[in-house]
Amino acid sequence: MNRTARVKRSRRLDPLSLAGLGCLLLLVLVALGSLVHAGGDPDAIVGPRLRPPGPGWWLGTDNLGRSMLPRVMEGVGTTLLLSSAAVLVTAALSAGFGILAGYRGGYLNELIMRVVELLYSFPAIVLAILVAAVAGPGQLAAVASIVLVTIPLMTRLVRAAAVAVAERDYVTAAAISGAGLPRILGRHVLPNVAGTIAVQGTYALSVGISVEGGLSFLGFGVQPPQASLGVLIRQGGTYMMAAPWLIIGPGVVLVLAILSINVLGDGLRDRFEPRETRSLI
Amino acid sequence: MSALLEVDGLEVDYGTARALDGADLRVAAGEAVGVVGESGSGKSTLGAAIGRLLPRQAVVAAGTVRVAGEPVLDLPPAALRRLRRQRLGFVFQDPIASLDPTMRVGAQLRLVLRAHGRDGRESPGGRDGGRGGADVAFHLARVKLDDPRVAAAYPHQLSGGMAQRVAIALAMAASPELLVADEPTASLDSQVREEVLNVVFALARQAGTSIVWLSHDLPAVARRCDRVAVMYAGRVVESGPAADVLGDPVHPYTAALARSAPAVAVPGVRLEPVPGRPPVLTGPSPGCAFAPRCPFAEDRCATERPEPVRVGAKDVLCHRAAELEVIA
Amino acid sequence: MRLLLWWAGRALSSAVTLLGISVLIFAALRLMPGGFAETILGPFATPAQKAELAARYGLDQSVFAQYGHWLAAVGTGDFGTSMISRQPVAAELWARLPVTGRLTLFAVAAAVLAGVPLGVLTALRARPGGGGAAGRLLSGLGVSVPEFALGSLVVFVVSRYGLQTSGYLLPAAVLSIFAISATARTTRDAVLNVLVEPHVTAAVARGETPWFIVRHHILRNAAGPVLTLTAYLLGGALIVEYLFNLPGIGSYVVQAVGRRDYAVVQAGVLLAATVFIVMNVLIDLLVGLVDPRLGRRA
Repeated sequence: MNRTARVKRSRRLDPLSLAGLGCLLLLVLVALGSLVHAGGDPDAIVGPRLRPPGPGWWLGTDNLGRSMLPRVMEGVGTTLLLSSAAVLVTAALSAGFGILAGYRGGYLNELIMRVVELLYSFPAIVLAILVAAVAGPGQLAAVASIVLVTIPLMTRLVRAAAVAVAERDYVTAAAISGAGLPRILGRHVLPNVAGTIAVQGTYALSVGISVEGGLSFLGFGVQPPQASLGVLIRQGGTYMMAAPWLIIGPGVVLVLAILSINVLGDGLRDRFEPRETRSLI
Repeated sequence: MSALLEVDGLEVDYGTARALDGADLRVAAGEAVGVVGESGSGKSTLGAAIGRLLPRQAVVAAGTVRVAGEPVLDLPPAALRRLRRQRLGFVFQDPIASLDPTMRVGAQLRLVLRAHGRDGRESPGGRDGGRGGADVAFHLARVKLDDPRVAAAYPHQLSGGMAQRVAIALAMAASPELLVADEPTASLDSQVREEVLNVVFALARQAGTSIVWLSHDLPAVARRCDRVAVMYAGRVVESGPAADVLGDPVHPYTAALARSAPAVAVPGVRLEPVPGRPPVLTGPSPGCAFAPRCPFAEDRCATERPEPVRVGAKDVLCHRAAELEVIA
Repeated sequence: MRLLLWWAGRALSSAVTLLGISVLIFAALRLMPGGFAETILGPFATPAQKAELAARYGLDQSVFAQYGHWLAAVGTGDFGTSMISRQPVAAELWARLPVTGRLTLFAVAAAVLAGVPLGVLTALRARPGGGGAAGRLLSGLGVSVPEFALGSLVVFVVSRYGLQTSGYLLPAAVLSIFAISATARTTRDAVLNVLVEPHVTAAVARGETPWFIVRHHILRNAAGPVLTLTAYLLGGALIVEYLFNLPGIGSYVVQAVGRRDYAVVQAGVLLAATVFIVMNVLIDLLVGLVDPRLGRRA
């Protein structure tokens, strides 16, 4: 098809993606608020045990009489912090390994892709449990699990982008004109894979939140009394019959966080990596 | 006698971009017409519109397309499918991608032949019945693929030229009345290109099939086709007998194309573009779209849409056609 | 011939991968606090047991020889003894296999019977722009609810209304919901990718019906990613077993991690790795059967 088939694409995000971004920013704000105890002290006992939502405890109270609101806020903070830290590690490692494998190719490429394929063949939660088994339950296990779960896909895609860039004429020209490897990678390859990293980083963040939740839910991630969304859902499960608000609050926030990030990721993908939509049937 | 294909005042938009801005085209039964234009001129959109194969985001703003009198753009789905099956054939640019990668060539051909069997139409060579093995061989032989291994091959095992000949066999299996070919030789090297061209035109002549050949290669098209239509910015700016259009162009754009064409006998060489760039329309062009690049433009060219003018055997879309004919 | 070579290479690399994992697990077990004997036997082992173990695994020999002995033992299905139940781990795993197997098979069946058709239908009905914000939100919601959250919800609703939570029906239903939504999404993406390929346009141009095109030109082309997904259902099975307290392999290993029953964990890790690698090879084989471009993809 020639140029006529291409549609002008707006450079702005669509409303739904913007809503996702807004929701994510709101959650970040909530997390920051928990640092100054904006919703109250998460460890203070404020009222009777297992009370439904009401004045003084807007999300109800837990089995110790603590208000759920500050605990959910703290949980959002823990979950977001651990996930983002893990995604930053993933992004750095993926960028390094992916570009190296894609640009240098050869033996190194074989080795990196073999390891990536191995990690990729495990379901997220199984990988996370293996990490917890070796590293012992805790925050480190949660972060390490998220990194190991998210690294294969991102490395693969960065590598694919790097391969495409490496074949371009201006990169060859730079290499011929004597530019050093760090210069070529930094100046020419990295900027061209940055979009891929941004899009995949968004998705990785949502996977990270889900993995942290799942791992803490099984009891292998964040350990109480520290709250995370997974921990709160695990604890709420025990009193599910008597006090469903214990599980509903953190559950809704967890799903909201993952959903808004996924929606944002779709919007970013459409912007950075537009695909032709020319289906006829 | 009414034409086999009649396209009248066709306007097609993709979102805010206008691809066709009132295109007209006529093709008589058994005739080969070359549609020539730079990429972006709207020729692919025109070709797709003939089979209503426009992408979803395309909007037909005005105009009609008739094939054998049937209004293609208004047919209900079942009638449209019947029209595509019985009267139309399409060949596309990327030969290997236009074949199903997961199916052997022979199986794909058999599938197409079976569909025609359901229509109660007998395809040529379909007399031996059975499982259609002879049928497949017959249709491959028609496009000069005599090697029995071709039928057992997957598309990615074929060369571009072979794959394109398979695609032609698929499109011609039902002996369509009109074959629309969208730059089918663009990705092939010149030797293979000649072979594929020979196969298509010989097969079409034998079956009495009309051809609409979309290309940017004016000389190559002029040598093979009976008539040529030159497109610019979504309109056909000059059409007529091939020799006249190439040898005696009237429209300034056609003239520039013909001039910039290197030795007329060298096939497969891309056209030198005319100085300047073709416009990207966002709506109907107020005047002549070529005016900004035209050395003969006058004031009204920018404000008045030119209508077709008959100059000899040609239809020309230019306000100054009569004067320019004298100059030429 | 080329395919055969490719297969030999694939099998070899899988074997190497498995060997790598075994080294990793062996090293991890050696690094566990308390040492190898305690790790395998538990803290309450008698000196006699420890001596027996030392003799069996050759603990007085070099590390490499120890690895060899350990590998040989594992190779014959000897994973040691659970320190909780004092039963051979292999037998415990074997007894729990039917639970996990039944659950997974059920979910796979649901994924194929409901997820694939759903994915094809939504792909065919999709319009550029994703069918509006509502459609995107809804399909986004499908993948944004983690299995454990969905499972908790189901358990809550069911027990609130006094329904029976034991038995296989509910866990299988939860896993199926997850399997169906994941399969539908994957199928949809795969079909959407095939739909824009020129050969589908060519089929439309030949006047073939949408149903004919789906059956003959789209399903096979979209099979790859869908098949790959089935391996991931095992991960979902683990969560569901834990949630519903089903005596399957998944919940067994999860409990073992919690109790630091390392003999079981080691067996679970090895088993999981083996299952996933074997499954991936099988899936590659299956994808290769339906999609001859295999050689180019590898």
